[in-house]
Amino acid sequence: MPNPESLIWVAAVTTVIWVGLFVYCIALDRRVRRLEEGQ
Amino acid sequence: MRGSSLLAECLAVLGKEVTAELRSRVALNAIGLFAITTLVAVAYQIGPYQIAEEDRPHLLAALLWIILFFAATSGLARVFVKEEDSHTAKTLRLAARPTAVFVGKYLFNLVLLLALYAVIVPLFCALMGYAVAGVVGLVLVMVGGAVALAATSTIVAAIISRASGSSTLFAIMSVPLVLPLLVFLIRGTRDAAGSGDLQPVLASLRAIVAYAGVTLITSVGLFRVVWND
Amino acid sequence: MTRKALKIWFPWVLGVWMIVVIVAAFFYAPPAQGFKGESSRIVFFHVPQAWVAVLAFCVNLVASVRYLRRRDPLDDARAAAAARLGLVFSVLATITGSLFARVMWGSFWNWDPREVSIAILLLVYAAYFALREMVPDEERRSTLSAAYAVLAFVTMPFLIFVVPRIYWSLHPDTIISASGQLRFEMESRMRQVFFGSLMGFTGLFAWLYTLDVRLARVRMSRARREEV
Repeated sequence: MPNPESLIWVAAVTTVIWVGLFVYCIALDRRVRRLEEGQ
Repeated sequence: MRGSSLLAECLAVLGKEVTAELRSRVALNAIGLFAITTLVAVAYQIGPYQIAEEDRPHLLAALLWIILFFAATSGLARVFVKEEDSHTAKTLRLAARPTAVFVGKYLFNLVLLLALYAVIVPLFCALMGYAVAGVVGLVLVMVGGAVALAATSTIVAAIISRASGSSTLFAIMSVPLVLPLLVFLIRGTRDAAGSGDLQPVLASLRAIVAYAGVTLITSVGLFRVVWND
Repeated sequence: MTRKALKIWFPWVLGVWMIVVIVAAFFYAPPAQGFKGESSRIVFFHVPQAWVAVLAFCVNLVASVRYLRRRDPLDDARAAAAARLGLVFSVLATITGSLFARVMWGSFWNWDPREVSIAILLLVYAAYFALREMVPDEERRSTLSAAYAVLAFVTMPFLIFVVPRIYWSLHPDTIISASGQLRFEMESRMRQVFFGSLMGFTGLFAWLYTLDVRLARVRMSRARREEV
């Protein structure tokens, strides 16, 4: 196991950034789907 | 029904370009002025003695091509825009095939660049104390560079003439395309200046010729689409 | 598997996959030899980003060529979508590459040929959008940007393949070139995480690209209906 402290922080920050972007993209996906269905 | 051959049309376009240019001398002035100004500025500031001996071949080659490339940009960007400005574009479209227009303009740009190099390169070597060991190699690199640069410049000039026509856009679009070519040209110049042996120059020359060939063929194909849009 | 079902669960699978990849990159895979400290872990992110930037370039080329042939506005939308993502990923690749360079060799930029080629790809995308900005007419905009994309694609091989061959590169021989060819011995765990990340980023590109195109299609059909 590498030095746990710094690694945990970087992994945590990366995951948070990813989850944030992912949620945003899911929202976009929902909106597009609603537009497509509204056709 | 057009009875003239493609070659005749190309030469006709070339002739028209030369005549028009000799009359107004706009591009010649732009290119010449830019090249001389930068050359004098560089030579005055840096001169033959400021650069350390071991850096000279590479740095001087890079400086030379910076001057040549930007001079070309200032002179060649308006090759098609000037037609739109003087309202002769439509006539040109009717008078000649797209390929002929492209080849004619390309040959003109090529001649312009070769003339530029013929004047600036010896001047540069003299002012900067650039000792060139392999003159044949250098000439080959210069010719290859002109052939390739004229190709990208002509097609990009065509594209921007159908867009905003601004020279800034020309620069923005040409730089990423031309950077690999510049790498080969600088290296080739450095190798040619360094020794009279042609061997090391050949590698760069091969790359330059390949680049020129690929760009020319693609540009001829693309020009038709861009011009007749 | 219906298309509708795929549209719904693919993103979620992708989301979970990427979280697993991120965690694995930090805790499952060991650091590589020859790298400073833990810095080799950035390879799991940097290389896939560069790969996606190049993939986007290829997708853009295909869409551009198709547009020049068929003049279907949807192809132009596809090209623009790919270019947008290509721009984002080439920026990411340049930044991560630069961070890595700082750790390994002390400075953010070293003029290494591979570093430079990803930066030039970035410049190509930027020029592509600069061109699009300057043309108000839609058809002409599509034609001109498609033409530029083809031109740029044709000069790229020189940058990616020929220049590094002529020049010595700072890039560790161990690093995958922009074309995705594996060059070094990766310990099996690293290989797993790496390919997992590669698949994840490609999936991310596929999802976002499809989303962009779907949106364009909806917009176009709506505009068409309004005309009638």
